[in-house]
Amino acid sequence: MIYLLEDAINGILMGSIYGLAALGLTLIFGVLKVINFAHGSLLMVGMYAAYWAVLLTGAHPYLALVIVLPLMFAFGYLLQAVVIQPIFKAEREVREPITVIIVTTGVWYILDNLGLLVFGPQYRNIQDNPLRGKMIEAGEMLISVPKLWGFCAALVTAALVWLFLQKTRMGRAVRATSLDRDAASLQGINPYRIYNIAFGLGTAVAGVAGVALVPFYNVFPTVGVLFDIKCFIIVVLGGLGSIGGALLGGMIIGVIESVGPQFMTATWTEAIVYGLFLGFLFLRPSGLFGVKYDW
Amino acid sequence: MNASTATATSPLRPPGSAWPSRAPLLLLLAVALAVPLFVRSATYLHILILLLLYAYLTTSWNLVGGFAGVLPLGHAAFVGIGAYTSTVLSLQYGVSPWVGMIVGGFLSTLVGVLIGLPTFKMRGAYFALATIAFAEGLRVMVENIDRLGPFLLNGPRGLQIPPLELGFGRFMFAEKEPYYYIILAMLVLAVGITWAVSRSKLGYCLAAGGEEPEAAQSLGINVARVKLVAMAISSFLTSLAGTFWAQFTLYIHPKSVMSLDISFEIAFIALIGGRGSIAGPLLGALLLRPVSDFSRIHFGDTLPGLHLVIFGGVLILVMLYQPRGLQEPLTRLYRRALARSAGMRERG
Repeated sequence: MIYLLEDAINGILMGSIYGLAALGLTLIFGVLKVINFAHGSLLMVGMYAAYWAVLLTGAHPYLALVIVLPLMFAFGYLLQAVVIQPIFKAEREVREPITVIIVTTGVWYILDNLGLLVFGPQYRNIQDNPLRGKMIEAGEMLISVPKLWGFCAALVTAALVWLFLQKTRMGRAVRATSLDRDAASLQGINPYRIYNIAFGLGTAVAGVAGVALVPFYNVFPTVGVLFDIKCFIIVVLGGLGSIGGALLGGMIIGVIESVGPQFMTATWTEAIVYGLFLGFLFLRPSGLFGVKYDW
Repeated sequence: MNASTATATSPLRPPGSAWPSRAPLLLLLAVALAVPLFVRSATYLHILILLLLYAYLTTSWNLVGGFAGVLPLGHAAFVGIGAYTSTVLSLQYGVSPWVGMIVGGFLSTLVGVLIGLPTFKMRGAYFALATIAFAEGLRVMVENIDRLGPFLLNGPRGLQIPPLELGFGRFMFAEKEPYYYIILAMLVLAVGITWAVSRSKLGYCLAAGGEEPEAAQSLGINVARVKLVAMAISSFLTSLAGTFWAQFTLYIHPKSVMSLDISFEIAFIALIGGRGSIAGPLLGALLLRPVSDFSRIHFGDTLPGLHLVIFGGVLILVMLYQPRGLQEPLTRLYRRALARSAGMRERG
């Protein structure tokens, strides 16, 4: 029984990091109405950025955030402004242009394979960092410290994003664009600039997830694919565009992955996650917290 | 080969100019028929067979991904169903792979319709996600199942087909030439079906439903149903390629016949060549397959993944500058050349 509880707690912690990764995806979808297929690759870029920042400076792994955050924001901002924006402009009247999905798929393939070309296929991790393999004992349970910090990072990031959207002037402009692009531009908001900012923000959140993962997770060129599909599942589960939904969806996946192996072969849990996803997609496509209008 | 797309995708064009627009396709077919007479190297023939296989897969994908205006990203599932059905039937029950091919085709049709039923009502992104999730889910399941009822699937280790009995009935040959002509015949069949569909009422309804679903519905077209029919044909045809693949390589495992990479490569070829046209998938396969084979052979060790970087880059450029694919500018060039030569004949 105690093992079950331990697994559940670790699952929630790991799941919240999945949720953190998915938060960026849901943020981008909420504003652009487009599923960014390159999101996992952006996470991969964030992880490599964090990895090299730590390795080259020798600083504490979490201090990498100082470098990774602005770097990723700029990367996402430019990616949207240079690559994705022209398509939005070409297909202005389409509410959810499928061409954008295709282009982000192209970005996914380019980034993943550039990662392979530049960094090679080997798994990398930061060997001597103060967090690696560190556990705290709570009664008879062992709880991973870097995952606990990841959990905190997820909650803080979600709260900050929520505050930004609700309380700042810029956040209000983002929400207005998300609700109705044309009405927003009549109020003097430049929707394309908002798109850039939303994409930059989503990418920066992926960067936070990367920093949270690097102390205990392997970095390799296709690490994004693992998270890509998980992120899709999480955002559909939680409801596309919902911040709380992303966190909760992530935790559900995390718990299934960590508790499931007590009852079945570990690889079966993956099939269960896909089944759950398809079930939601068919029966309740708006997810747990999604707006019905948006599917 | 290019101009035929004009008659196919814009059915409003008068059919009078059918012959000159079909000429490039027929020329291509003649060249394809003659190729094994000149190419004796098994390696090159192998590459050409894969080229035709991908042209076939992409043509099948195009029926739903091109004409129906949705983005299926899980067609590897049908390849897998086809490969596993015929292989299990032939290994365990001695059924000829040709029969298994058809059985697998109908099984895939059933599955395709079952996926399409709930998802065609959704927006584009959800459909893409649902197809990915289904294909990946199926792969994971097959990887986990050693034995499904009476059928031996052998999990991640896959199934080996011992080459005991050669011959047409067993769909097994020592040389590559028979495989070449079989996949060529399949490709001709798929192109023929696409051509027939594009000129049929179904094709018009698909085009209308893909471009303007609301307008099509207001004309009384059941958009979801025509998409389902397209999906049924597409999954049937895709599944046949799975059986071909199994008999050609004589070894299948979940990663080889059901991986996400196959689904994406098919979509990439169609999108770059030009979705929704007959020539697009052929052109795409003709352009992209050599790039991937060449870079795999020459840079496989030093620059792994190079061809995928190229694919991604080409895809983005095509989407930015030629969203209807590379077939469009080529078609335009060809038609201009035709018009010029016709004009010269009139004057002379």
